[in-house]
Amino acid sequence: MVDPSINEHEPRLDRLQLAALAGLMVIGTLFVASATLANPEIAASAWYRQMWVHQIIWYAIGIGAGAAMCFLEYHVLTRWATVIYAIAILTLVAVLIPGIGSVHLGARRWIDLPFFDLQPSEFAKLAFILAMANFLSRPADELRRPAIFWKAIGMMMLPFALILKEPDLGSALVLAPTGLAMMYVAGIPRRFLLQLLGTVGLLGILLVGDILFAPHALQILHGYQRDRLLVYFGSDYTRFAPSNASAADLAKMRQTQLADEYNVRQALISVGSGGLMGKGWRHGTQNTLGYLPRAGAHNDFIFSTIAEEEGFVGSVTVLALYAVVLFAGLRIAGQARDRLGKLVVVGVVTLIFSHVFINIGMNIRIMPVTGVPLPLLSYGGSSVLGSLIAAGLMQNVHIHRKGY
Amino acid sequence: MLIFDEIKKNDPELRFVAIALATGFFILLAGLWWVQIVTTSEYKSHLVTQSYRTIRIPGMRGKILDCEGRVMAENAPRYNLSLYFGGLSSEFEAEYDRLRPVRVAAKSRPFWDLWRGSPAAARKLAPLTKTNITNLKWQARYDVAYRIVTQMSQTLGQPLSFDYWSFKRAYESSLYVPYPIAQGLNADEVARFEENYSGNPGVDLDVQPTRVYPLGATAAGLLGYVVTDDSGGDEDAAYNYRLPDYKGVVGVEYGYDQDLHGQPGEELVMVNNLGYRQAETIGNEPDPGRNVVLTIDLDIQRAAEEALAAHQGANPRAAIIVMNVRSGDILAMVSSPAIDPNYFTKNLPPDEMQKESAMMEDTNLMPQINFATYAAYEPGSVFKPVVGLAALEAGLNPNEIYHVEADPENPDHGCIYIGEHHNHKIKDTVPPGDYNFKRAIELSSNSYFIYNGLRTGIQRVVEMADKFHFGEKTGLKTRQDAAGIFPSLWEVEKSDWHEGDSANIDFGQGRMAVTPMQMAVAYCAIANGGTVLWPRLVDRIESQDPNSGEAPTVFPSGVVRDYLGVHPRSLRIVHDAMLGETTDPEGTGKSAVVPGLQICGKTGTAQIQNEKGELIAHNYWFCSFAPYENPKYAVIVMVHKPMPLGGSGGAVCAPIAHDIYADLVKKDSSILTQNVVRN
Repeated sequence: MVDPSINEHEPRLDRLQLAALAGLMVIGTLFVASATLANPEIAASAWYRQMWVHQIIWYAIGIGAGAAMCFLEYHVLTRWATVIYAIAILTLVAVLIPGIGSVHLGARRWIDLPFFDLQPSEFAKLAFILAMANFLSRPADELRRPAIFWKAIGMMMLPFALILKEPDLGSALVLAPTGLAMMYVAGIPRRFLLQLLGTVGLLGILLVGDILFAPHALQILHGYQRDRLLVYFGSDYTRFAPSNASAADLAKMRQTQLADEYNVRQALISVGSGGLMGKGWRHGTQNTLGYLPRAGAHNDFIFSTIAEEEGFVGSVTVLALYAVVLFAGLRIAGQARDRLGKLVVVGVVTLIFSHVFINIGMNIRIMPVTGVPLPLLSYGGSSVLGSLIAAGLMQNVHIHRKGY
Repeated sequence: MLIFDEIKKNDPELRFVAIALATGFFILLAGLWWVQIVTTSEYKSHLVTQSYRTIRIPGMRGKILDCEGRVMAENAPRYNLSLYFGGLSSEFEAEYDRLRPVRVAAKSRPFWDLWRGSPAAARKLAPLTKTNITNLKWQARYDVAYRIVTQMSQTLGQPLSFDYWSFKRAYESSLYVPYPIAQGLNADEVARFEENYSGNPGVDLDVQPTRVYPLGATAAGLLGYVVTDDSGGDEDAAYNYRLPDYKGVVGVEYGYDQDLHGQPGEELVMVNNLGYRQAETIGNEPDPGRNVVLTIDLDIQRAAEEALAAHQGANPRAAIIVMNVRSGDILAMVSSPAIDPNYFTKNLPPDEMQKESAMMEDTNLMPQINFATYAAYEPGSVFKPVVGLAALEAGLNPNEIYHVEADPENPDHGCIYIGEHHNHKIKDTVPPGDYNFKRAIELSSNSYFIYNGLRTGIQRVVEMADKFHFGEKTGLKTRQDAAGIFPSLWEVEKSDWHEGDSANIDFGQGRMAVTPMQMAVAYCAIANGGTVLWPRLVDRIESQDPNSGEAPTVFPSGVVRDYLGVHPRSLRIVHDAMLGETTDPEGTGKSAVVPGLQICGKTGTAQIQNEKGELIAHNYWFCSFAPYENPKYAVIVMVHKPMPLGGSGGAVCAPIAHDIYADLVKKDSSILTQNVVRN
């Protein structure tokens, strides 16, 4: 089926995927610029303080890191998977310790380093993929043993719980489809997975039911996580007011709800008002007039800026670029030399896809608002670096595919 | 799809993942299609109508109260006459239609139109460029607004200014908030407006709290003042508009600004697609600031200010401090001249505004300086008790006689020769003769203190002064707390320090400067047996709402900064000598005496020189405490008089202290002695 003589002339790198990644980085630079230059204070500052310049620097660093990934064969890399995983878990624990982890907007997600704020969860996701791939690339009959299955679940739950504690619901949630897809592709028996899905689904329904209908005392989730889910389900905050709440308290709750819904509504208005062709680069009124939250227009809500300014055409372009990256990834998985390579790539592909789906989904209100960045487009060092390292992993498997 | 086909057909798991991904992409695509293509018009219309503007509402600033709860600074409603753009929009339109040029159509009308009563020539709207339309619209808005402002000006009977550019800016940036055309209306003007204009949707009163100081210039120096705060700071991005807010600049208003200020709240205003106000909801309620309760007793403060005015007239440069010697509580703090803090919030009638403004511009007055805490001068003779304490502790026998020799040039006065060859003469103000410690204090002999100060050694004098913390700030959070100047041990041991420098220090001149507040702290320490206290200006900070149940922040009184560590006998000698100064026939402070109250005092006159060494002014001092038996109050009076005005501490300041003590006796009879004046 595979003719080695043909392969010799084939490029070692998957150029189609690289082209699509480059396209995303160009778009990322353009719209980080558009979203941040709307703020006159940022626009007035020197070029080296501009966020789009920082983004380009992160791309450069990320490309370097991704290229470095390609030099080490992935077998060598995964041999260290357990160590990498352990380090990742340690940083996730460290970030929770006050004094090490720093709090932004109520969540302890960052470690402030001299030159940038490290978000360990971004790298923990990759460490998890490597460790999981390593763990699952064992003889097929072992995978049928429940013990192996439960160990795999345990490997997933550890970072999941730590990231959820930060709290960062979105980053924690993307681990689930990633882990499940890897287990599925590895050959864990389908009935295990179905049982798991069934249980999780049931728990999910119970959780949502708890949030929406349970009395105040029986609420599991708290604070803004619950509030964001409530916004998503269109429920009223006052439902959870204690029975002795005064009129002023109720008014305050409604007010908070209004403010919380504001972000979602403004993002939706941005996307919707973009229409087919958009309003043109740097001409999005929602963005330039500051209706989009300034803190989010260049990171978690970057898609709404793109969709407003470039319209449906722009949205589809972004989707198409992601599709190329991910399906090229799946092609790499199909050509992988062994199960290990295939699992690494499937993990990375599912991870990126989960990010894309949750992020774009929240902009058009089919997903609740969670702080998940859009890979390569959202502003942020950790996210960009993580995405490009992930891309490097895919290319690594491609370079060492069958026939090479 | 090309890539799809390449995924191996015999790998069903991978194929399933690919299908799942494709489904996901399809869902996103469909969602985007729905939002951006199918329902886009709905969102486009929402674009502006569903926008919110946030308005920052400052918290109600806390009051400043005296120790008995009398108000020294508070907030009052201030009425502004404002244009409400939302209510004027139809008038703007109408005016525009009127202004829009029309032209006569060339063709005359058919005769049947004429029969129906139409004008002979048809009129058509003239075609206009976009720029013309914009300009015309601005013209219309301006005309309407100007007409209203003119009407209001007639109604209120005062000229109102109307600035086109500020109007334009307000219209463009904040249509949803009222645009003030007249600020700070008085009751009469409010009534006149209500009579004539209520019901007009485009113009109405709007009420803003403003800072007022009901006592005017009383205690102005310590209260400080506020100015409108439009700095925004880091929170600026969160708000579209800020209602006026205040920040303290100096004084208590500055030092306790954090507490007085409270937390701002916000109002969310929904605006329609033209930017006009549609509906509003209060977001977070602002948190009011907290009241600052001072240790100041308004009765004593007033008594001190009246005493100063009675003896020195309007606007002398002077400072008075009344302090409780046991607790360090500042009961009165006068700094003169003072400017009415209402001037800074523009809450004064025009003529008074002008008067204050003239004061501000007079460079001789410097009314913004708190002379009680921020002006450091040479103390002169009032520093002698400090030198005396150092000498007594070093073993000076108070009964030892020092003979002041006569000045050959001026035989009525004494003098002293210092320096290696005893060739450097320092003049004395007292007559030549024999002086012991008591007489030297009473008559304030420079020679005696120079002689004994030098004998004691400058190091011991500096060490004693260090215990009083001269040359250091007194810790008042008013932004006007000067450290003054005092040489350190290291400085006096340097080679360029001469005996003449030491001699100057010994009678309170030369390389030193003190604030009246430092003198007050020092005299409290001498009075209370040697405890140097931190002065206390604020008693507590408490909630504006007495029913809040919130515990007040109480600042402890009598917080010790240092102990003099001197023998009680030394202090008793100083007390006795100072009592003599007000009771002895020879004493310089006799005019301070109040019947039934034994006052220990010290007068002083310091010469103020400019950079060239020319005498430009005198500082007159009277530093005192009472009663002698069990001291309770310290009264410090300092008056600065430029040349050629003359006087002495006893003549200028002691009578002022007298008036203050007379009021203290009225307020607190416990300080009166049973066995009246003993001589």
